[in-house]
Amino acid sequence: MKKPDRRDLFPGALEMMILRTLRRQPMHGYALVQHIKRTSDDLLQIDEGSLYPALQRLLKEELVEAEWGISSTNRRVRTYRLTPAGIKHLNQEVSNFERMLEGVTRVLARGEA
Amino acid sequence: MSWIKRLLGRRRLYTDLSQEIREHLSEKIEDLVAGGMSREEATHAARREFGNAALIEERGREVWQWLSMESFIADIRYALRMLRKNPAFTVVAILTLALGIGANTAIFSVVNAVLLRPLPYQDSDRLVVVLHYGVAPVSPGNFLDWQRQNHVFTAMGAAEYWTPNLTGIDEPERVWALHISSDILPLLGVQPLLGRMFLKEEEQKGRDHEVILSYGAWQKRFGGSAGVIGRPMTLDGERYVVVGVMPRDFKFAPFWATKAELWAPLALGDRAADRGGNSLRIFARLKPGITLDQARSEMSGINSRLEKEYPGTSRDYVVLPLKERVVGDIRPALLVLLGAVCFVLLIACANVAHMMLARSAVRQREVAVRTALGAGRGRIIRQLLTESLLLTLAGAGAGLLLALWGIHVLVALSPAGIPRVQTVSIDANVLVFMFVVSVLTGLGFGLVPALRSSAVSLNDSLKEGGRGSIEGARGQRLRGLLMASEFAMAVILLVGAGLMIRSFIALQSIDPGFDPDHVLTLVVSVTGSQSADATSKAAFYGQVLEQVRALPGVQSAGVINHLPLAGDLWDRTFAIEGRAAPRPGEAPDAIYRVVWPGYFHAMNIPILRGRDIARSDGMNSPGVVVVNDALARQFWPGQDAIGKRFALTGSLPNAPWLTVVGITKDVIEKDWAHPPDPEMYLPYLQLSEADQAFLHYLTLVVRTAGEPTSVLPEIRSQILRLNQDATISQVDTMPAVIREATAQPRFYLLLLGAFAAIALTLAAVGIYGVMSYSVSRRTHEIGIRMALGAKAPDVLKLVTRQGMLLALWGAMAGIVFALALARGMSSLLYGVHSDDPLTILGVVLVLAIVGLAATYIPARRATKVDPMVALRYE
Repeated sequence: MKKPDRRDLFPGALEMMILRTLRRQPMHGYALVQHIKRTSDDLLQIDEGSLYPALQRLLKEELVEAEWGISSTNRRVRTYRLTPAGIKHLNQEVSNFERMLEGVTRVLARGEA
Repeated sequence: MSWIKRLLGRRRLYTDLSQEIREHLSEKIEDLVAGGMSREEATHAARREFGNAALIEERGREVWQWLSMESFIADIRYALRMLRKNPAFTVVAILTLALGIGANTAIFSVVNAVLLRPLPYQDSDRLVVVLHYGVAPVSPGNFLDWQRQNHVFTAMGAAEYWTPNLTGIDEPERVWALHISSDILPLLGVQPLLGRMFLKEEEQKGRDHEVILSYGAWQKRFGGSAGVIGRPMTLDGERYVVVGVMPRDFKFAPFWATKAELWAPLALGDRAADRGGNSLRIFARLKPGITLDQARSEMSGINSRLEKEYPGTSRDYVVLPLKERVVGDIRPALLVLLGAVCFVLLIACANVAHMMLARSAVRQREVAVRTALGAGRGRIIRQLLTESLLLTLAGAGAGLLLALWGIHVLVALSPAGIPRVQTVSIDANVLVFMFVVSVLTGLGFGLVPALRSSAVSLNDSLKEGGRGSIEGARGQRLRGLLMASEFAMAVILLVGAGLMIRSFIALQSIDPGFDPDHVLTLVVSVTGSQSADATSKAAFYGQVLEQVRALPGVQSAGVINHLPLAGDLWDRTFAIEGRAAPRPGEAPDAIYRVVWPGYFHAMNIPILRGRDIARSDGMNSPGVVVVNDALARQFWPGQDAIGKRFALTGSLPNAPWLTVVGITKDVIEKDWAHPPDPEMYLPYLQLSEADQAFLHYLTLVVRTAGEPTSVLPEIRSQILRLNQDATISQVDTMPAVIREATAQPRFYLLLLGAFAAIALTLAAVGIYGVMSYSVSRRTHEIGIRMALGAKAPDVLKLVTRQGMLLALWGAMAGIVFALALARGMSSLLYGVHSDDPLTILGVVLVLAIVGLAATYIPARRATKVDPMVALRYE
């Protein structure tokens, strides 16, 4: 049996969470995915690996940049940080998302009433 | 340019990605171990939570790629590697495909040039011809009435065949030419390369001594000189002036008189009212917005009026699209050939499909491994299809070379009468056709094997020593189906070829009615003062005959106006003595031949009853005529025609009565397989002066003791000694004329036969391949059977029966299709019906032998199976 594709929650959701997380502070991939899982209280089922294609997309669009370095635990890690374009994109995405969420919520609320 | 940087830095990006993923996994494992898991458990857990690392890495890489382009390139690289690893498979597959694609391309390029390409005139699909019954010429009276009365054509012009003697050059020559209305060139929408076209007023007698040259004539006769305009030419002893030169690719007329190399104005003069002399072919251009049907109904209205106005004129004129007239006759033959090569390609496809299937069984594990590593089914199919498309592309490349060679051979071998065959070439149309055919081919033989191999059960295939699950009943059935359909298609082609062979044998056994061996023929004409004077013209031919008969090596000689098969065909109406005047349009008519005494002897045409035309049948003796058997039977059925009298009508009033003095055997007249029409032979010396003057040339027929052409130089010098302005043309031998007359069926036979042979070979190879493969897969089973006591003959029977059963099914299906399809080639057949049982029986016999041979060899091998080896094999 093939597992259902859970790479994305909805198109762009994973990218948005990555950008939001990186805005707090630059991180490497492993830390990033642990952080997202922890903050979402494991409500979101994410294959850890699915992070990487998303990071590649962000790199390609130059919303993030990456640099190899040594972590505090003395590991070779590739740390991602937000670019100014990334910040702008994140703001836009978040406001888009909030508007969408609001719309959906209203419709759901109306349906209940 | 960031995309260039990306392209260059891509390897770096990829290594970064894979390192990153490795680091991720190891960090995760460390974490889990620190949390108290064993290292082994931690490794599993890390991988589980990460997902399919290989797939994720590929997705990550894909982000940087130009969509699917790069994975496509990777597919191609991989496919090339696989093909290189199996050179035997690759070479055989490419050759098979090259054969199929090459044959298709070659034949399609002929179809393209002959049938599809528009004629080389402006808006050529608006051009029509008007002909009697759609084939025969028209009288000037009718033409001029149509031109004046119609409202459906922007222009209408006539063309008349003309073969003037060109003199004033080293050796006088008869040239092919046309008299054309001044409207013809403008209505074709062509412009002269040099000079001008004809003017309306040049259709007047006296102003009509002008010519326009073809490009070829300009090059050959004037060395391509730019100052050719205004230069004189002597044609039929009269002075003409060159007024124009046509472009290199201009050809007119397209369906008859195709060799015309110069054109002069058509000045009808006092023939303008002539409604009996049918000599004009009419060309016209439809007015914008007028359909062919509208033009037809308008013309038939005019013709009904003309019929009432001039009793005796016909109304059976047909308006045909010019293209239809040019290519209509050849279309069925070309479509049959195209169909034949299609079947060759299908057989080639079936062969390669089988090879792919057999190979896919071997490659099962490879596919399974790739599936296990996360390749989706679509991805695998794409990969396998890339391989088939690559094979096809290579096959198409080799096929193109084959087609180039094939076209060369086709054009060289093509018989006269296939219009525009000289223009056959590989153009954009052909390339597009070839590309589409190739892609369809690649999908055709690649898709089924790809679908089958990609549906692999992982568990079974990956198990060590796992036996191909693909080789189940379905695989067997598919293979059997392929083999049976190959047989079916081979049957179809063989039936086609077989029918052509039978038809050709029937054609060859037709008795032409004369003895063609050792007969030399040449057309002789006189110009100058001698041609104007009937007496000296007759004297000239009399002397030619006498001197030629006296030459050593000449057995006999004769003269006729138009040679059977090769020559023109004139028709005369006549009135039979004592019979009521026929109703208009129903006057008896017959082919009009004019001969000198000795013609029948020279051609060895038997006189069935009565006598030959004699020297004594001259101007002052009563008129005589010899008729053929067909004429005697048609007009005097059950009676003896000898002694009966008739008179020619349509020319002079009160033409003299001609008494039938002899009846000859029927001779082939124009078309080889055409049943004989009534034919009359009049002595030249009894013709009226007007009728004699109308014969611009006569054909000399010489029966020789040895090689016919060996006496030619002697004959030529004798004729030129008698008249140095005489021209000799169309030198031929009767056997060559007959070969020419049967050249088209021979050509089709040759091609269909070649395609059938290729098909048979491919099918035999295919069947051999299927059977060998099946035997090798069944080694185990055969081993068990032999261990249980089966003897070699039993095994032989088992294997052969399987093959022959498939062949039988295929052959039966093939016969059903062949019977249906062969009806489409009825128009190509002579003397054999399209469901000829003998042909079908023969085909089945041939296939049975080939099938038996192809199955016998693998079956023999099966009997050599050593049970011990076979059983231990697993």
